[in-house]
Amino acid sequence: MIDFIQNTIDGVMIGSSYGLLALGFTVIFGVMRRLNLSYGPTVMIGAYFGTVLYLDFGAGLLAVAAAVVAGAVISGVYVERLCFAPMKAGAGIASMVSSFAIWMQLEQAAVLVLPRHTYPFPPLATGPALEIGPLLVRPDHLIMLGGALLLAAVVQLALYHTRFGLGLRAVIANPIAANLVGVDVGRLVMLAFAAASAIGGVAGFLVLAVDQQVTPMFGMWATLKGLIAMMIGGLGSIPGALLGGLLLGVVEVHSHWLFGPQVRDLFAYFVLFAFLVARPGGLLGRTADVELSHRV
Amino acid sequence: MDFYLGLAQVIGVHTLLGLSAYCVLLTGQVSLAQAAFFAVGAYVAAILTVIFKWHLFAALGVSAVVSGLTACAVGFPALRVKGLMLVVATLAFGEAVRLFFFNFTYQIQAGELKIGPHGAEGFRQIRYFPEHGWSTFDVLMFIWLMVAIVMACLWWLDQSRAGAVMRAVGEDEVAAHSSGINVTAVKVLAMTIGGVIAGIGGGIFAHYTTHIEHVQFGVILATFAIAYPILGGLSNVFGTLLAVIFIQGFLIEGLRFLGDWRNLLFGALIVLAMNLRPRGFLDAGGVASLKRMLFAGKESSGA
Repeated sequence: MIDFIQNTIDGVMIGSSYGLLALGFTVIFGVMRRLNLSYGPTVMIGAYFGTVLYLDFGAGLLAVAAAVVAGAVISGVYVERLCFAPMKAGAGIASMVSSFAIWMQLEQAAVLVLPRHTYPFPPLATGPALEIGPLLVRPDHLIMLGGALLLAAVVQLALYHTRFGLGLRAVIANPIAANLVGVDVGRLVMLAFAAASAIGGVAGFLVLAVDQQVTPMFGMWATLKGLIAMMIGGLGSIPGALLGGLLLGVVEVHSHWLFGPQVRDLFAYFVLFAFLVARPGGLLGRTADVELSHRV
Repeated sequence: MDFYLGLAQVIGVHTLLGLSAYCVLLTGQVSLAQAAFFAVGAYVAAILTVIFKWHLFAALGVSAVVSGLTACAVGFPALRVKGLMLVVATLAFGEAVRLFFFNFTYQIQAGELKIGPHGAEGFRQIRYFPEHGWSTFDVLMFIWLMVAIVMACLWWLDQSRAGAVMRAVGEDEVAAHSSGINVTAVKVLAMTIGGVIAGIGGGIFAHYTTHIEHVQFGVILATFAIAYPILGGLSNVFGTLLAVIFIQGFLIEGLRFLGDWRNLLFGALIVLAMNLRPRGFLDAGGVASLKRMLFAGKESSGA
């Protein structure tokens, strides 16, 4: 029983990193209705910015965090300008293929800057695990979970209580009508992309600071985990993205405990496939969002 | 010379992979599961020739059938979802298949060493071609014969009523449905044909590389499979061939002298191509103007 509770707690902690990655994905996906395979690699470019600062200039934790976010935003806008802005309606697959090509480009750029396979990343909080009765919790995991909750709340507030969020929701509902009432759709989409990349940057910083290492594989990992968490949670729903991430983490840790490490990822994909087929809207998605994504 | 023969083999097998995605794309579905069907074909064909000592043609036949059945089985549940959801669902399936082969071990003792797929190490010792005295040139001819047969079949399919029905579903599902087309049957059929083609391609791939492992069949290969027909255009099968030659021949092998910088240019050139021709190299307009040029040439020579 203690094992079960401990595993569930670990799952929630690990799941909060998936939820963080899914938050940025949800914003991009909600606005564009297109799959951005370069999402993880843009976060990775930010991470490499931060790592270079940390290794070569001995930058502190806050400076590294700022560099990660800045790098992610710059490369995110680069992806948007190349793969999404020039592609007209109905050319969603062209966007996807382009974002895949940019993924290979960003990964190569990262390897050219730092050619070794792994590099150290500054730790978030060092210290012994907290003991709550028989259970153990790592302090940096707690910070990550808190960060995920805080960020989700900020995004939710920004989306529903600011002018920018109102414009964004107008574009999501109907880009043509939004244009007619005076919303500058192109500019707003670019800003949304930048904001989503910034969220991705914060997520990437927290995840890497917990792992304390960065590798070129991080890009693909972030894209896949963020995508799975977003799809399980429900398209276009901010609480859903967080919930999907937590659920994914719990499922992974339990399957790891029960069947071993090889089965862990297999289980994650199985859960995703089952969710997509049985409940395409995910946990908290609305059917309207599902219908909007039917045309690629 | 061997380098060019090898390159021609790669182009041939990737053309089969691209054509399997082409067939599915005609009905308007984007599937990232083609690499999984390719992997199923590769493992099935290699197990049959290496462990059960079957003839290659029989093994390829069975791998085509098994991949086709897998595709058909995936087609039914996956087609409940459309558009981007289908992309993600097939991505999940493809990765699940890759992880299955990551854990798949089935070995027998043959003399001193064990042969057969061995989990993460992959499947070595697929030596059908050298053991049966096929030269590189023979293998190349065989690959391109298969490519020619598949392309001819798809070309014929395109010209027939079935091709028109598939394109109708791809253009507008609701309209196709209301004119009496069984949309689900058409989509599952297209998926199955795509699976058969990918199975043949995978079987050949396993035999000319002689060593297969799970990492070869990941998201990257799946996206390449989709990229070929998208980049080449969906108006006919030659677009896919053109795109494979462009990517494998020019972008990957032709730019190899750039070393580490190649991937930077690789990405930029694909994005450039997609920006200039979002509907592919050979779109309907391009084909029409090509026909006009050829037709005008004939007219002037006749006059």
